[in-house]
Amino acid sequence: MTVTDRDPLAHEDPRRLAEFEARIAAGEKIEPGDWMPSEYRRQLIRMISQHAHSEWVGMLPEGAWITAAPSLRRKLILIAKVQDEAGHGQYLYHAAETLGATREEMVDALLEGRAKYSSVFNYPTLTWADVGMIGWLVDGAAIKNQVMLAGCSYGPYSRAMVRICAEETFHHKQGQEMVRRYAAGSPAQRRMAQDALDRWWWPAMMMLGPHDSDSPNTPLLKRWGVKVKTNDEVRQEFLDEHAPELLEAGLSIPDPELRFDEATGHWVHGPIDWDEFWRVVKGDGPMNAERLAARRQAHEEGRWVREAMAAHAARAASATGAVPA
Amino acid sequence: MSHAADTQWPRWEVLKQDAEGKPHQAVGSVHAADAEHALLMARTVFARRPSAVSMWVAPAASVRSFTAQELAEREAPTERAPAAGAPERYLVVRKASHRRSMAFGELVGEVEGANVDEALAAALARLAGEPVLALWLVEARAVVRSDPAEADPWFGPARDKTYKQQSVYSSRATARQDAAKGVPR
Repeated sequence: MTVTDRDPLAHEDPRRLAEFEARIAAGEKIEPGDWMPSEYRRQLIRMISQHAHSEWVGMLPEGAWITAAPSLRRKLILIAKVQDEAGHGQYLYHAAETLGATREEMVDALLEGRAKYSSVFNYPTLTWADVGMIGWLVDGAAIKNQVMLAGCSYGPYSRAMVRICAEETFHHKQGQEMVRRYAAGSPAQRRMAQDALDRWWWPAMMMLGPHDSDSPNTPLLKRWGVKVKTNDEVRQEFLDEHAPELLEAGLSIPDPELRFDEATGHWVHGPIDWDEFWRVVKGDGPMNAERLAARRQAHEEGRWVREAMAAHAARAASATGAVPA
Repeated sequence: MSHAADTQWPRWEVLKQDAEGKPHQAVGSVHAADAEHALLMARTVFARRPSAVSMWVAPAASVRSFTAQELAEREAPTERAPAAGAPERYLVVRKASHRRSMAFGELVGEVEGANVDEALAAALARLAGEPVLALWLVEARAVVRSDPAEADPWFGPARDKTYKQQSVYSSRATARQDAAKGVPR
């Protein structure tokens, strides 16, 4: 469905729309069952389901390293982090379901390659340091976005974000700690940390989305309190926090134009390769096919478990005479 | 793609109690084949961190939801003959604030009613004068509860997994000291 050349609000009742916008302006949360414009519902289902898919696909680049973790402590941390991403996907699918999307539609859209998810998970994890760099940069960028979305006007999405932020901070901290130690470690460890930064810096900058000038949904999403800040504002927060910390750790950021602007008090970055971003979003990144293949394989290999659970529940229900829920 | 043979399981709402003496809170939902499975899913999804001592699950079909807007626009129930049979008990879950929260609302008590309208009237009468931004009525007999005797094996292990807490990760200064001392990584 495209609504680009039509006003998506043209068919809405003006009185209800005005009441809805007044509620949002007053800081109220919209809850399932409340009146909402169909475009609000559509945009939220799009955003929340993409966010849920990103959590699920995000398990794959790191999950591959669990068996190769260099110590038991690092292995426990990584298992817990990947478990959290699975749980975060569950919170988000639940939030999208409150808007009328079904789990089947969303999961099928992902498995059939119709759904988008964060571009950053389509890059390969080549060394163990990538696990740390993903925690520091990718989770660091994700948290900036998620803290913003915790203020979202839609109650279920906001609540999922509050819960996710509380848990995700550990993902960021463990990655930061790991990379800082490698950056201060042996020459081989320092090379590994720098190589990981060289490969993850731009994908992390890109994952916060197109510039505001190329983000046509943003004005309406801000007006409705879905997004509280724009992509460029969130990217600036990410940059201002991470650039000085990475430099202090003794690493070099692969952006020759990066500089601190004394006048504004902000860091300034060089141009982002948006051709690469759109290629990866549209399915032509280094790992898109492999990520979806892994997701499909997991879904297929779980089929017998789902069938067994359903059969067990049906038999137990018929034995007691209870009606299935 | 046909879903006939591979549909998702039914949805269950999850109520979690963070500590003894605190009310159960509505935290979200899980899909599960039956009640036992729903409790296991609820623990895995909502209690990977220590703050849980009890969990209840209720099939989504046993939960009636009313937002303040729906309550205001709801038509007064028409007179009807008293329902036959025993009244049904309902748990009442209320959302009382627009503040940022991890939970939709919390349990405020139980009411009885021969039907949902009666139970709703009883719940609103009990909460008269208090903020009601949204209300759930949950059929009490549909609720399945975690076993209090099993609370420790169920929820205890999360307490020992301190590496899930951000506070255990060293600050910049201690990382430099560790590095200088050659602390193993």
